[in-house]
Amino acid sequence: MTLSHYLAVSTALFLIGLFGALTRRNILGILMGIELMFNAANINLAAFNRFLHPSGFVGSAVAVFIIAVAAAEIVVGLALVVAIYRAQGTLYTEDIHLLKG
Amino acid sequence: MTLFENVHWIALLPLIASFVILFLGRDDSDKSLLPYVGITAMGVCLIHSLLILKGFLFGGFKPYYRTLPWFSFGDFEMSLGVLIDGTASFMLVVVTLVSFLVQVYSLAYMHGDPRFKRYYAYLSFFSASMLGLVITSNLFVFFACWELVGVSSYLLIGFWFEKDGPAYASKKAFITTKLGDLGFYLGLMVLFACAGTLDLNMLAARAQMGPEYLPQQTAALAGILFLVGAAGKSAQVPLFIWLPDAMEGPTPVSALIHAATMVAAGVYLVARTYFLYAASPLAMDAVAWTGLATAVLAAGMAVVAYDIKRVLAFSTVSQLGYMMLALGAGGYTAGLFHLTTHAFFKALLFLAAGSVIHAVHTNDMRQMGALSKQMPSTFITMTIAALAISGFPFFAGWYSKEAILHAVWLRSPLMWTIGVLTAALTSFYMFRLIFLTFLGSSRDAHCCEHAHESPAVMTGPLWLLAVLSVSSGWLLEHNGLFASVVHFGAEAAAHHSEGGLHAAPAWLPWAALAAFVSGLAAAWRLYAREDLSLAAGIKERLTPLFAMLENRYGFDRFFLMLVSASDRLASALAWFDDQVLDALFIDGWAVITRAVSELQGLFDDLFVDGAVDGVGIVTRNAGWGLSRLVRGQVQEYMLYAALAVSLFATFLMTR
Repeated sequence: MTLSHYLAVSTALFLIGLFGALTRRNILGILMGIELMFNAANINLAAFNRFLHPSGFVGSAVAVFIIAVAAAEIVVGLALVVAIYRAQGTLYTEDIHLLKG
Repeated sequence: MTLFENVHWIALLPLIASFVILFLGRDDSDKSLLPYVGITAMGVCLIHSLLILKGFLFGGFKPYYRTLPWFSFGDFEMSLGVLIDGTASFMLVVVTLVSFLVQVYSLAYMHGDPRFKRYYAYLSFFSASMLGLVITSNLFVFFACWELVGVSSYLLIGFWFEKDGPAYASKKAFITTKLGDLGFYLGLMVLFACAGTLDLNMLAARAQMGPEYLPQQTAALAGILFLVGAAGKSAQVPLFIWLPDAMEGPTPVSALIHAATMVAAGVYLVARTYFLYAASPLAMDAVAWTGLATAVLAAGMAVVAYDIKRVLAFSTVSQLGYMMLALGAGGYTAGLFHLTTHAFFKALLFLAAGSVIHAVHTNDMRQMGALSKQMPSTFITMTIAALAISGFPFFAGWYSKEAILHAVWLRSPLMWTIGVLTAALTSFYMFRLIFLTFLGSSRDAHCCEHAHESPAVMTGPLWLLAVLSVSSGWLLEHNGLFASVVHFGAEAAAHHSEGGLHAAPAWLPWAALAAFVSGLAAAWRLYAREDLSLAAGIKERLTPLFAMLENRYGFDRFFLMLVSASDRLASALAWFDDQVLDALFIDGWAVITRAVSELQGLFDDLFVDGAVDGVGIVTRNAGWGLSRLVRGQVQEYMLYAALAVSLFATFLMTR
């Protein structure tokens, strides 16, 4: 297992997340995609930590912070989703276009 | 020792089975073969556990401990491992056996349920979490499995979630146990801060090295916090309120929760971390008194309940209190012995109650009566279980209760007196249940005339458990077999090899027997006849007492009050925020701001607006043109952003 293996996995995860976030019609799906991207970043941090500075733990610590931040983010996101659903009656992004010029 | 090297499969196999059942196969009908996956997995685990137990009992196995590094964080390393000692080997057999029998029994009981397949997935998952908790060597993993047990109990109690009762009960169980889990979690942090490890073996070794390695205050604090966790899971005072409501789940699940998986976890936690309690007399006393209070309070509530499953639920709470009492009084072996025997007869009681409910379609004992002719197998097995739990000589419960009362006598005769009183109450409410259900007259013809014996796949487990309820006590007590495997430290083993009943007067066992007989006689006098007016008369005269018992001493109301009090506090604060903070600082500030801004507005209107309007017109036209590009689709923006970032990245990398 070399660094590139980890990076390959995280790249794949990131792209899957990006693809999901760009193509899902449902906001919940977009949030899930964003979660995947977060975790791709986490894998990068942990992997760099492990391979470049095995004695330190800053990378893992930041990853843990990101996990906490991601949890907070998803709380806010889901609250927004609930609010949007109450206001708009739908969660499909093509129906939510208040900003349309 | 391949038995030990593969021991982790005992937890993993049911886990895999549960996912196989959940995700494979779309057939949700009761002809599906998927339940057999769960049953087979549990059967394999049962055989494995039995082999390990046999090794401990007769093969001279030594406790097995193995860890793998899990993750490291700086200098700190977390390990993942198994720790199998005599206590764990007994727990494994209890959990796998009860779980196996419950799964077989459920084939008939849950027959035709629309979510049959999912039920089996949950059952396997429940057992897997509990087995993981039993074998793990690490308190952190223990905590994780502990939470998984909580989640699966939530899923199973609320299995019929379309009904209000189960949905409410599952929420209540989850939140109440979560309150206890908070204590467990804090305890973990206290221990970790002091010892820097959560490995049970290392912690125990530290505790043995003496108070400079594990200060007495730390042990007391962690022990009491763990007790809070155990009180939540094992339904001790005052967190027992969830258990009676948990009866809303399917009856086999109640059997599983009450006999083997959920509630045993708390007692097991105290047993696993017994070195903490051994190091701190304060924590030990807390365990003993909590257990004692639970035992006697719950027995009181069982006396007045009319729902057949609630009686059994309160009886479980009471017996769990007994186990805690034993542990707290220093009777490590006695407490776990009772845990083992109790698992057999309590599972039997629940499965038999399920058989009755299956036949008459009601939980209310007032509508039953005279079922002994229609359901002979259920009647006989349930009576055996009742005899066992109330301590009929030479049945399983007699031995374990004897051991507990002996340990408690050595601790404090006052506790012993209350314990014996509880034993009398136990015998009374158990036979009240038996007499009301099976003897007397059939009080609701509509319910009872169609009652018939359950199919063999249900009575089979009943008979097997009946045999165990009769024999397990004698078999395990014989030659000190149980004590030779399950003991705490060398001291306890020596104590038991001396022949048990020293230092206590010879009349001790007779007192327990007298308690049993008096309870049985009182129940016979009041409930074993067609005319129940005597019992009704007593209830009439003691109305306040009965009301208090039926209200569960107000514990439910207390917690509801707690919730509504915090609710009221929150709305008071909201009022303060709204009426004081807002009015003073926000609205007051607004008045000043408004005056200033009106002044500014004048200037604005006269001079600035002209310029602004000019810019505005330009901007509006430009904006109108640009806005054609923006279609309000948030994902398009994301795509632009992603493209921009990747272009920038490409630029940076190729530069």
